[in-house]
Amino acid sequence: MAGSAGRATALQWRRFRFPQSLIGHGAWIAVLAFLAFSVDHLEIPLERIPDMLGRMWQVLASRYYPPDLAYILDRDYLDYVVETIQMAYLGALFGLLLSVLLGWFGSFNMTPSRRFVYPVARLFTMGFRAVHEMIWAILFVSILGFGMLPGVLALTFFCAGFAGKLFAEEIEAIDMGPVEAMRAAGANLFQTVVFGVFPQVRVAFTGISIYTWDVAFRAATVVGFVGAGGMGWYLKRAVLQIETERVAAIILSIVALVIVSEIVSAYARDRVMRMK
Amino acid sequence: MPILEVRELRARYTSSGPEILKGVSFEVEADDFFAIIGPSGAGKSTLIRCINRLVEPTAGSIHFYGTDVTTLPGRQLRILRRDIGMIFQEFNLINRMSVMDNVLSGRLGYTGNVRTLFRAFPRADIERALELLQRVGLQDHVDKRADELSGGQRQRVGIARALMQGPRLMLLDEPTSALDPKISREVMGLIKTMAEEFGVPCLCNIHDVRLAMEFCNKIIGLQDGVKMFDGPTGEMDQAKLDQIYAMEVL
Repeated sequence: MAGSAGRATALQWRRFRFPQSLIGHGAWIAVLAFLAFSVDHLEIPLERIPDMLGRMWQVLASRYYPPDLAYILDRDYLDYVVETIQMAYLGALFGLLLSVLLGWFGSFNMTPSRRFVYPVARLFTMGFRAVHEMIWAILFVSILGFGMLPGVLALTFFCAGFAGKLFAEEIEAIDMGPVEAMRAAGANLFQTVVFGVFPQVRVAFTGISIYTWDVAFRAATVVGFVGAGGMGWYLKRAVLQIETERVAAIILSIVALVIVSEIVSAYARDRVMRMK
Repeated sequence: MPILEVRELRARYTSSGPEILKGVSFEVEADDFFAIIGPSGAGKSTLIRCINRLVEPTAGSIHFYGTDVTTLPGRQLRILRRDIGMIFQEFNLINRMSVMDNVLSGRLGYTGNVRTLFRAFPRADIERALELLQRVGLQDHVDKRADELSGGQRQRVGIARALMQGPRLMLLDEPTSALDPKISREVMGLIKTMAEEFGVPCLCNIHDVRLAMEFCNKIIGLQDGVKMFDGPTGEMDQAKLDQIYAMEVL
């Protein structure tokens, strides 16, 4: 008797049981309800969305075409393009150097001290990430004045936060076996990182670095908006002067540069993936 | 005069967690090949890791050539670890590095930070590494990546790396568990030959009792953190083995 009763209960199985099922369904309902509430509250005119594309095309054709290509082939403008690339390069380079340290110190398994260095490194990484690159740019422009330096610093902070977190996650995911072996051989922490950790994360770090460069370059094209150097300044000026054909040309040049950068990064990433 | 004296060793991983070692004592002599046997979870790995303090013991003492290991601060601990070679169950090689670099990594305790960064090991170390690789039969695989090798070959790299330290004691943590029976025997044989040739005593975790009886001259039986047997291999018999492994029957 007892045996058959036990079997009857054991044969019952449901994926969702009472408290979890309530929480799960409740969460979905909450998401949908908030969506409806937001659309309603913001009075988003949904009926205008269907003919949005047509109107966009009209505006583009009448005001932004033809793009003023002579403007972006101008010597002064091309200097700014080069400046943008240099800014992105310096920002990504310094940011990545900083983020290697942040990643090491902010990884729970390899940090020199879990009680002190780890939380400090995490705090810095979080701080760099929490603030948008444009806000950093505004901040540094107000401290240092117009020019490239605030742009480079903003990008450095942005890259350090961006890559620092990813690096730390990579280090936390390594196989600790080699680390243990290096410790057992009498290696210090630095040597353990060089031999036990770095070979395991090298490929991932390279991939993340290329990705970081990508993002940094796109950010570099717009930090000029607030006076932090690069072609963003040109874009802003053209927008303010309602020189729409120049705006079109500048946006075209940004798109072209980002595409070139993407192609180069995709090629590099592909090579890294196949790297031993 | 024992080279390693362990007294009343106790260990637990968290202050509220279970005690893994409950007061283990033993002595290792200069020419011993010591086996530690016992069922899974008996504390074999913890015991062996306490000796070079990869695991911090909570109580007891460990004297290695007269030095108390348990109280050594960071730098002295690293100097002590140079004298203790270790071979691991999962080999713990650096997969993305060459066999040569893996063997050389055994010298890190003697190498400066700058040399480490550029992997610029002294000439003498490189020559010694080549000799050892020849001795373990890997002279044709020096430049291969460690993950290109078979299991048996990887453990040979592990052996060469441990010997690279010029150790005065070797800790073997289940050195053959990841290998098939034939290769296991070969690897154990190689370890034993090398240990005798270099005059290095060994302390070996092993759960294959037959291998233990064949290669080791002394055995400790560990059960649930308590030493159940300690003596020459000849004194071990089936009744005592049943007692040590009694946990598994239940």
